[in-house]
Amino acid sequence: MSSSNIRDLQRELENKANDLSKLQKDIAKNHQVRKKYTIQLGENELVLKELDLLKEDANVYKLIGPVLVKQDLAEANANVRKRIEYISAELKRLDSTVQDLEEKQNSKKETILKLQQKMQTLQAGKGKA
Amino acid sequence: MASSKSASGAMTLERMSVEQLKAVKEQADMEVNLLQDSLTNIGTATTRLELATTALNDLSLRSHGSKILVPLTASLYVPATLQDPHHVLVDIGTGYFVEKTMPEGKDYCERKINLLKSNFDQLVEVASKKKNVADDAGVILQAKLKQLASSS
Repeated sequence: MSSSNIRDLQRELENKANDLSKLQKDIAKNHQVRKKYTIQLGENELVLKELDLLKEDANVYKLIGPVLVKQDLAEANANVRKRIEYISAELKRLDSTVQDLEEKQNSKKETILKLQQKMQTLQAGKGKA
Repeated sequence: MASSKSASGAMTLERMSVEQLKAVKEQADMEVNLLQDSLTNIGTATTRLELATTALNDLSLRSHGSKILVPLTASLYVPATLQDPHHVLVDIGTGYFVEKTMPEGKDYCERKINLLKSNFDQLVEVASKKKNVADDAGVILQAKLKQLASSS
């Protein structure tokens, strides 16, 4: 009776451990994406600062593939602003998903700990009996 | 002030278990490595900008119509004449280029170099602090391990 119990527990523990490693992988992936976006945000902010310093009649070009295309300063400014907005929103979204995942990870860790304790007490009881 | 702070930091490290210490040390080591990488990156970026500055200075000394060789690939150059030594096209990032006059271009390089230098200095400070934490954790970890080995 108790040995089948232990087996069940073991199976459950394994499942939970798999879930946990999956969660950890997701978190790591999220961190990587976050890092990429942070770098892009920094670059875009530098560009915006540079565009703000320019005079109104300055010639601005955008590199599209191998071609430099002339662009309005106002248009370039709006583009970069929009991009910064988008990246910031994306970063916020990533933050909330990471937080969510970390909460899930912590609760998983707790359930695993509880399962391990349960198994230990069961095994100890079996040893005595 | 700084010494008392690090002393209290060492005190909290003293109270940690071996596992915690290991985790702290690992974390600190990782961060130190990351910061080192960033420092080298900033270094290369600075040298590139300095190169650009010397190139600009060189260019500003030439006059209209002087002969130059333009690199088409790394090993193929074609002869050309300099049309306009007073204007330069600056890559400001994310695919945007801006036409600037020579002094503006020089000013741009100067500003970027100064920005990088100030970032570099800040990072050096953070990195040395992190390194101290990592070293402290390492020392205390060694001491604890020795204690454990002798007591068992």
